[in-house]
Parts: sequence; structure tokens; C-alpha cells
Amino acid sequence: MENKVKKRIYAGKIFFIIVLCLVSLCVAYYSTMVMKAPAKKFAELKAEYGPDSTKKKKLDERMFSDSDYLSLLKEKAILQSKLSMADADSVYFVINLADSTANLELCGVVVHQAKISSYVASNIILKGDDNVILPMLASPFTIASDISTIKKEPLMIKIAPKDTSEYKPDITPDTTIIEPVAYIMEMTNGVKIFVYEEEASVSDKDRVVFKFDLKYKMDEAKRYFKSISHFEVPEYYPVIKIKIPRTDAKIIYRAIPKHGQIGIYR
Amino acid sequence: MGNDRFIDESSENMINKVSEGQDHNVVETGEIISSSEKKSFKDGIIYRIIVNFLFFLGSIILVAFLGYFVVFIAPSLQESRTVKKAAVITDEEFTKEAGYKKQIGQIKKDVQNLSKRYNGFTSGQSYIVINTTDNKFALYKNKQLIREGSCSTGSFTMLKGKGNKKWVFKTPRGQFTVRGKRTNPVWTRPDWSFVEEGLPIPSPRDESRYEPGVLGDYALTLGDGYMIHGTIYKRFLGMPVTHGCVRLNDEDLDVVFHTLNVGSKVYIY
Repeated sequence: MENKVKKRIYAGKIFFIIVLCLVSLCVAYYSTMVMKAPAKKFAELKAEYGPDSTKKKKLDERMFSDSDYLSLLKEKAILQSKLSMADADSVYFVINLADSTANLELCGVVVHQAKISSYVASNIILKGDDNVILPMLASPFTIASDISTIKKEPLMIKIAPKDTSEYKPDITPDTTIIEPVAYIMEMTNGVKIFVYEEEASVSDKDRVVFKFDLKYKMDEAKRYFKSISHFEVPEYYPVIKIKIPRTDAKIIYRAIPKHGQIGIYR
Repeated sequence: MGNDRFIDESSENMINKVSEGQDHNVVETGEIISSSEKKSFKDGIIYRIIVNFLFFLGSIILVAFLGYFVVFIAPSLQESRTVKKAAVITDEEFTKEAGYKKQIGQIKKDVQNLSKRYNGFTSGQSYIVINTTDNKFALYKNKQLIREGSCSTGSFTMLKGKGNKKWVFKTPRGQFTVRGKRTNPVWTRPDWSFVEEGLPIPSPRDESRYEPGVLGDYALTLGDGYMIHGTIYKRFLGMPVTHGCVRLNDEDLDVVFHTLNVGSKVYIY
């Protein structure tokens, strides 16, 4: 009996150690795969936007460490992007991370301006090789899909009265309702732009944005988990997260077309 | 180590007691069990409960940690790698080289040309910008803001009539041009205006379609039946209540009418 109990305790210890080892291994493997993802994305971007190695006349590498040249190159990139967007007859969004401004423009005219109170962006976008990132920023980003806490078009359906006796005049819309605003726009090139209201919401409203964010993070975790369980490096999406006033965030979201365009200046 | 051994021994003794107690209890049923045996039996059960509880708690903590790791920690690891940005230094010697000057000259020229092209989009002409989310307008002349205020735009209502007929009341977004200017405009009521009130739709030239006075003193036409005009429902200014047109109050309408010309741009977003 004594031996049996001893064996049980021993088996329990072994089981505990095995579980710990397995968990540690999984965590280490998961972390490695997750950390590999940005490098994979950068390699893809480099292949798409990087300098053409077959080109005979290469630009002197030293140019990219010259501040004057770089600032001109950045300006050129955003102007190229804005010109391309201005040619289309629809509203586009310009995020200037250097000036902390977010503007809505239409055919070259700034129709709405918002101040970015804070922002976070992926290392790829902020610190990535200018040789690769600036050519990427020279063309506008196109929205592939979006998710939001508010409706893009808050359409109400009204059934026509059969006769004048059924007719009721329209109710005055309640403009005092405050909707918490947060949305994520996924671009066709894999960049994701997050826009959050800057107001420190309280109670229920705070939870709406928190839940929205948590749901997104859980969906992303599921996606990562799925890729890693198939022994594949997960797809990485560089992000830009900005915080702007709630009213501006709402105006911008409703104004940008479903597959609208965005220009980035960093 | 010594402590571990001590704990192991004491726990083993306790387990032995428990198992003995259990044996007594199960095998020798009906026998009187001594109080010390009862106590060790109880201790054994408590020990098992504690062990099971700790195992359960440990499992929950482990699962919670894994969940937290996957959802929050792992994604932040991606940005934890320090990316060294190439140092931006202006090398005095390099800037004197002919190749450098050529490159800088070329890019400066490109930027100038692009700026010129981009600035060409905004002409010095007067234009109006209409914000349909906040129901506000801003009037510009020579690129300077000269007036801003409230307006009313489309209500985002879909009216469903008989026989699958539908009308969506929203102000279109984009760049428009003032196509015409009218003084004392008369509103020609479209079909939806009758459907909305439950009235029968009259013939296109019927007298009941013409309503003078409801559009204010002026109207600027934008095409497809959309207009910028006045209103008799001033209390609704600043609200999304219209059928797609842009309503202004009398004073604002007067300034807008006299500032914009046929051909002036109207930017609606």
C-alpha cells in the first residue's frame, strides 16, 4: 500500500513536470513563430516596394542617410499619394503622423481637420527601411474591409402610410445620443489602421470600446493560433493606431467610402 | 532538501494513515473505529480535497495565463524587437559631390512640380464645404473661410411605398458644381412627397405639385434634383431631417447665394 501511494506521488510529480515542460515548449514555439511574422512581412514588402536589384543605375546608399534628401523623399511620397487620390472624385483620408493631424480631403481640398492626440505604429512603418517604406507610402492605401462600433450609414426604414389617416409627421432625431467610436480599417496591402475616440469614456460606453478591442484581439489570437498549429508563420499586419476626438472620428468614418483611400505621412 | 524529505515523510505517513483508516472503514465495517483513526481518516480526506483543489486552481491559472499570453503578450512581442533605424547624418563631404547635388536637385524639382499640381486642385474661386454628419457648412472665398454655420442634410431614411418602390433620403457625397441659381424658387413636389403623406400620386403637371415659399428666397441647384435652399423648418437646422437637399437659414442662404456662382464647387462629405 505504501509503495502504491509513493508511486502515485511520483507519477503526479512526473506528470506535473511533463505538463510544465510541454507548456513552456509551446509558449517558446508560439513566441518564436509570432516574432518571425514581422520579418516575413517586411521581406514581402521589400520584394514589392524595395529597390530593383536588376536596375543598372543604383542610387547611392549614402543618400538615405542624408536628412535633406529623406525629408524631400517623404514629401514627394505623400504628394504622389495625395495626387493619385485627388484624381478620384471621392473623399480620402490623410494621416500625418509627423504633424499629428488627420485630414479629410476631397479633390485636393481639405474639408475636415482633426488633431491626433496620440498614436502608436508598428516598427515597420515608423522605423522600417526608407528604401522600402517610402515607395509604399507613395501610393494610397485602399480600404479592403472595416469593422466599427458605429454604423457607416445609419439608415432607418419607414413604411409609407396607406392613406392620410395613417400619416404621422417625422419624429425629431435625438442628436444628444453619444455613441462610442472605434473602428479598424484593413488595407489591401495588409496595413491596419485603428481609430479610437480620445475621450476617456465612462461606464457602459467604456465597455463598448473595450469589448470591441478585446473581440478583435481574440479573433487575431485565433488566427495566429490556427497558423502556428499548422506550423506556419502567421500573417503579420503592420498597424497604425490613432486617437482623435469622438466627433471627428465619427465624421471621418462616415465620410470615407467603403473602399476609400488613405494617405500616410510619417 | 531536508525540508522536502520531511514534508514527503509526513505526507506519506498521513496518506498511510488515511489508507489504513479507509481500509478499516471499508473492510471492517461494523467495527468500532478509534478516535485517532477517525481523525487521520478525516485528515486524509481533507488532504485529498486540498490537493484536488490546488490541482484545479493550478489548471485554471495555467489556462488563464496561456489565454492572456496568446491574446495580449504574444502580439506585443512582435513590436518588442528593436529596429535600428539608419543614422541620419549629413556628411559635409558627401554633400559637395556632384552626384549628391544632382540627386537633391532632381528630387526638389519633383516635389515642386507635384506641389504645383496638387495646389492646382484648389482654385481661388469660392466654394462651400458641407458636413453631413454634423450638419455644418463652411463657405470659402479666395481660400479664406468667410462664413460657417448649421444646415440640415439627408435623414438617412428609406421610404418603402407600394409595389416595392423605395426612396433613400440621403445627401450625396463628393464634389459637385453649382449648376443654376434661382430666386423665389417654387418646389415641385416629387412622387415620394405624396407617398410619404399617404396621398395619391398626381399627374406630373398637376397643380398640387407646385408649392411656392417652402424653399426660402433662393435655391442653388446641384443636379439630380438636389439643391441648397432655405427652409420654413428652422428649428430643425443642425439635424439630419431633409430628403437629400441642403437647407440653410435665411441669412446664411443669402450670403451663400451671393458668394457662389454657377460653376462654383460644392464639397459634400
